[in-house]
Amino acid sequence: MSYLAAIASLKEVRGAVVGDLSGRFHEGIGEEDGEAVAAAFGFVASSLAQAGAQLGLGALRIVSVASEAQAHLVLVRGGSVVTARVDVGGRSLASLEKVLDASLKGEG
Amino acid sequence: VDSILHGLMELVGVRATMVLDPAGQIVAWRGHAAFDRSLCERVGGVVTKAIESVHLQDAGWETISAQFANGRILVRRVSPSDGPGHVLAVVADPSLNPSFATVALRVAASKVRTAAEGGAPPPAAGAQPGVFRTSAGGEAADPASAEFLARCVKELARHVGPISKVYVQEAVSRVSPGAPFSLAAARLLVEDLSGQIEDAADRAQFRKGVLEKR
Repeated sequence: MSYLAAIASLKEVRGAVVGDLSGRFHEGIGEEDGEAVAAAFGFVASSLAQAGAQLGLGALRIVSVASEAQAHLVLVRGGSVVTARVDVGGRSLASLEKVLDASLKGEG
Repeated sequence: VDSILHGLMELVGVRATMVLDPAGQIVAWRGHAAFDRSLCERVGGVVTKAIESVHLQDAGWETISAQFANGRILVRRVSPSDGPGHVLAVVADPSLNPSFATVALRVAASKVRTAAEGGAPPPAAGAQPGVFRTSAGGEAADPASAEFLARCVKELARHVGPISKVYVQEAVSRVSPGAPFSLAAARLLVEDLSGQIEDAADRAQFRKGVLEKR
């Protein structure tokens, strides 16, 4: 199963995009403008990876962006950036991170 | 603000904490030795670029958490505004409890917002006689000095925004350490505050605005 199929099968996920660290769009589902999502969060991931490298924090794994209404979870796997727009629905972001992280184990 | 950052530093796992302005410049900072101000300034610039990109996609964002193999970066918006605004950022090692840190960051951001927007606490019971609690959030020796501080906050805000109140409070603690501010230190205070304004013409306008109205 691909990253996209694995993520999109989760009930909390409303939209998902697979791109890369240079912001290129590969595939997506449930997003009106998947290319914009891939570009924005590809840049977010590459910038934060750079910040982490400067701080000696090692490889970037997950970025969570939360607002009152929704959250975006960005999972970095090698050069791939998987962005999922999720309905938090009262759950903690940490638990959703674990669910999405586990869903990508062995995928790609 | 310094005491708020100090409080965050007491959380297990926190290695550095800072307040960044919308341009990615450090407004306040505390960190362990390996996370010195220079490093945090470089990182702040990079993180701010990420924030700008997030803002384009979700203008209502409140928090960003980046999990790395050996630690985390947590960012919280200080106040909702039209632009990305000021943010509070924490760098932590893997021993950080993220749920606990999220709550602590929310509380700290609220305190920074209060300090920046004018919510100074009411005078404490038993406050010294002859000391005036100012609308700028500090203490002044007399009403004229309190009025001068308020004018500094207002004039500086024209150039740096609502964080001006924090700048004035910090400058007062430098030019008048351990004592209520008085007009005798006015020029010293204005020179100190001028350092927060990058443009020379704006600096001159600020000096003129506060000193000529005395």
